[in-house]
Amino acid sequence: MQALRLARTTRVTPLRVRALTTAAPSVASGSSSSTSASVIPLSNVEAQWEKMSSEEQLAVHQQLEAIQKKDWKELSIDEKKAAYYVAFGPHGPRAPINPPGSGVKIAFGTFALIATSGLIYYGVRQLGGPPPKTMTREWQEASNERAKEQKINPISGISSEGYSGKGFVQSK
Amino acid sequence: MLSTAFRARPVVFRNTSAFVRNSSSAHGQETFESFTERYVEFFKSAQDLFEVQRGLNNCFAHDLVPAPAVCEAALRAARRVDDYATAVRIFEGIKEKVENQKQYQAYLEELKPVREELGIETKDELYTS
Repeated sequence: MQALRLARTTRVTPLRVRALTTAAPSVASGSSSSTSASVIPLSNVEAQWEKMSSEEQLAVHQQLEAIQKKDWKELSIDEKKAAYYVAFGPHGPRAPINPPGSGVKIAFGTFALIATSGLIYYGVRQLGGPPPKTMTREWQEASNERAKEQKINPISGISSEGYSGKGFVQSK
Repeated sequence: MLSTAFRARPVVFRNTSAFVRNSSSAHGQETFESFTERYVEFFKSAQDLFEVQRGLNNCFAHDLVPAPAVCEAALRAARRVDDYATAVRIFEGIKEKVENQKQYQAYLEELKPVREELGIETKDELYTS
C-alpha cells in the first residue's frame, strides 16, 4: 500500500485520460487498487492526495462520487472536506505559486543582499589608499590664494570683483 | 439551451436610415431581471456537472452579483448533479463578487433555508469546525 503510494509521483491530468493511459502497464495492480478503494481513509485525503498514485486518486474520486449521491446532511465533515479538496483544493493547477512563508524569505533575502553589498563597499574602501594630499582644506585655500595672485579668471571667476564662491575649496 | 443562446444575442435588426451608424449602441441591453430569469432557467435545465459549472462560470463573469434566486437555482442544480464541492464553491464565488462582508452575510441569510435543506456548509464552516 505505502510502496504503491510512493512508487510514482503524480501529475494531475484529467481522470478519464489517466485511467486509460495508465491501464496498460499495471493490469495486475488495477484489481488490487480497486480493492483498496475502500481502504483509503477519506479523513486524510488532503495530506495524502499529492502522494497518491493516479489509480488511487481515481479510486478516491469514484468513492467520493458515490458518497455525494447520498443526502448531504448525512455526510460527515471529513467526507465534505475531502470532496471539496479533491475538486477545488490547492493542488495541480490551483497550487499556490508561492508556498506560504515565501514573503518573509524574500524580504530576508533582499535585506541580506543589501547588507552584503554595503559590506563589500566598505571592504573595498578599506583596501584603498588614503585620499590624495590635495584633498585638504589648507591645500585648497592655498590654491585659492595662488589663483588670486595670478589673477585667474578675472571676468566671472575667482579673481573677479565681488566674488563670493568657494573657489577651489571642496574639502570640509 | 438553444433558446438561451438566441436570447443572448441582440434581438432587433432595426430599419435604420443610411446615415445612422450602426455601432455598439445597437447591442441589446439585458436587464438584471431578465439576466436572473435566464440563469434560473439555465440552472433548472442543466443536467450534468459540466453544464452547471459552465453556467456558473458565465453568470459569475459579469459585473454584477447573481441574484439569490440564481444562486438557489445553482445550488439545486449542484444537488441534482450530486456535486457537493460545486455547491460549496458557489458561496466562494458570491464572497468574491460582493463588495463587503455585510453583503455576503445578507446572501448567507437569504440562502439559509436552501443551505439547511440541502446540508451545504460554506468553506469557512468546513474548515473552522
